Amino acid sequence: MIDTALSANDIWFLVQGAGWTLLITAIAIVAGTLLGILFGVARATLPGWSTLPLGFLLDIFRSVPLLIQLVLANSFIPILGIRATPFAVSCLVLALYTSAYCAEIVRGGVLSVPLTTRRAARSLGLTWWQDMKEIVYPMALRVMLPSWIGLTLGVMKDTALVGWIGVIELLKSSQILITRMANEPLFILCIAGLIYFLISFPISRLGARLEQRWRDND
Amino acid sequence: MGVFNYTFHWRPAFQALPAMLEGALVTIQLAVLSMLFGIAIGVVLSLMRGSKNRLLSGFAVTWVEIARNTPALFQIYIAYFGLGQIGIRLDSFIALLIGITFNNAGYLAETFRGGMRAVPPTQTRAARSLGLSAVDAYRLIVLPQMFRVVFHPMTNQMVWAILMTSLGVVVGLNTDLTGVTQELNVKTFRTFEYFAIAAVMYYLIAKFVTLGARAIAWRLFRY
Amino acid sequence: MKWMPLAATAALLTMLTVPQAFADKLDDIIASGVLRCAIVLDFPPMGSRDASNNPIGFDVDTCNDLAAALGVTPEYVETPFPDRIPALVSGRADVGVASTSDTLERAKTIGFSIPYFAFEMVVLTKDGLGIESYESLKGKKTGSVSGTYEAIALEKDVTAWADPAGSFQAYQTQADVFLALAQGQIEATVVTSTVAGATIASGNFDGFMMGGKAPYEIDYVSLIGLRGEYGLINYLNLFVNHQIRNGRYEELYKKWVGEGEPPNLMIPGVYY
Repeated sequence: MIDTALSANDIWFLVQGAGWTLLITAIAIVAGTLLGILFGVARATLPGWSTLPLGFLLDIFRSVPLLIQLVLANSFIPILGIRATPFAVSCLVLALYTSAYCAEIVRGGVLSVPLTTRRAARSLGLTWWQDMKEIVYPMALRVMLPSWIGLTLGVMKDTALVGWIGVIELLKSSQILITRMANEPLFILCIAGLIYFLISFPISRLGARLEQRWRDND
Repeated sequence: MGVFNYTFHWRPAFQALPAMLEGALVTIQLAVLSMLFGIAIGVVLSLMRGSKNRLLSGFAVTWVEIARNTPALFQIYIAYFGLGQIGIRLDSFIALLIGITFNNAGYLAETFRGGMRAVPPTQTRAARSLGLSAVDAYRLIVLPQMFRVVFHPMTNQMVWAILMTSLGVVVGLNTDLTGVTQELNVKTFRTFEYFAIAAVMYYLIAKFVTLGARAIAWRLFRY
Repeated sequence: MKWMPLAATAALLTMLTVPQAFADKLDDIIASGVLRCAIVLDFPPMGSRDASNNPIGFDVDTCNDLAAALGVTPEYVETPFPDRIPALVSGRADVGVASTSDTLERAKTIGFSIPYFAFEMVVLTKDGLGIESYESLKGKKTGSVSGTYEAIALEKDVTAWADPAGSFQAYQTQADVFLALAQGQIEATVVTSTVAGATIASGNFDGFMMGGKAPYEIDYVSLIGLRGEYGLINYLNLFVNHQIRNGRYEELYKKWVGEGEPPNLMIPGVYY
């Protein structure tokens, strides 16, 4: 048997931390994807100059470390006089962060559909919306989905940083346990790592399988 | 209430610019080193993964999957406090470098594997039948094409490496850009001002890398 | 009646702005019904977590008492040491009950109450390292929590000793400092005697021991609020005064630190 001071209570504490990790991931991914589709379609279809400011803004979210983004938002939002819990700040920052990457994925997906195909669709009498829904969406999805799954996993792992601003997610909860059980940091960290792995690995396999299947069908 | 409750102190913040620029150099140094080691280990891992030896491929798969399926912060924390428990005491800088290199190598190994697949084996056979030696066929035919495929993901990984260096502060590093910024923050409590300047610096470093890579790609890859 | 919406807007604006113009932080706390205390939870016995991982400690109880006096519910905003003051300045917490030393540098940014506790600093080390006094830290690997009273004093001395073998390493949390000491990344740290005592007594760390007193001035710690919130700071002063007057200070000392005389909070020979 492994000799440890870790109690069932502490395991439950870690599981709760994992719950926060999943909740923040889910909120960030849902909100970030919706925003990302909006931004990405705009970037792909509107004339280049008109979305330049948007492109610049999204680029910032991809070029500044997430830790810095979190610290900045956490100090700036209260300066504006808005009361926000660290949880809300985390969700907001991660949603915008996700949208910045998602916009690039969507833009790449839309641009991967040959313009001639879309012109053909429009000349057959399809509206812009029908073209998007019936032609672009199914074709772009194959390009986008593997990257999007990768993004989801990336964001899940990046939630580990929200511990810095005081959200007790999975990694932070393991650090709190280490405060009490300083003799076994490696063991406790490994449990936390295992939980991350168990969440991430199946999804990443699924993504790889999808990619493989679509490539084989091409 | 509101905005007027907080007065920005930009003057002392700008005075810290030289110290922060020095931190930025350490950040760049860390990112570059972690990429060089990451590329070397990544190539080895991708070759090991393709090997028939179960032990070698198993080792590579384990490395790649742990690197890709756990947070970078976790990997860095393990490199410092996890290894510390079993008596391997690393300096903060080294622990961070090892953490980021571990992560880079894992991702780059997958990139290289994809790159190798992108060059069909028929090409090697064609090259060999034209009289090229195995080494020449690899050097002249496979590598240049592979490089073209992996160049863009490598650039992305370099930007990631820069972003990951910001995590050194959790293992006590106080010489890189985030470390210096946090030191200033805890001495003056002006979080927003200092971190805003740091954000601009990170942005510029990342832009420099992506634009530089674009220039190199334009120079190398045009037909 | 075109002016109606305009007048209504004006009336609404007046209603919204006028009471605010008079409301200070103290009013805000009472009106919101919540007191948000910035608390450090890796600093036993002042703040830590129990076996069920709930916040406990001297500071947690003090926050509860303060909230009870104000008639509001306490809410703990857990902050690592370096984040205490930024949390206040940026408005994430209303007061800091976080063993904050009343340095003049900090007073440029935040307001202090009269001291509510006082610490003596000691060297904390591991047995077998040959560290018996503060002076023997020369040439050793030391570390502390970034930006704290003891960290600033220790780093200053390490720099002054200028021993190439010696070093000072700053960590972000007290927990990381203890972990680094336990694992040997550092050989000694300087902490408050109460924390050293509680940490050694906890039995969480093998071989931890005191290495003598650190020759620093007594570290008086205060409750903190925003610099300009005089109403709140006045209230905090009276609150501390009452805690001592009604015996609660002694009671909390016995509960968290142990038997013995709680530290005298009067600074001899000077008005506060």
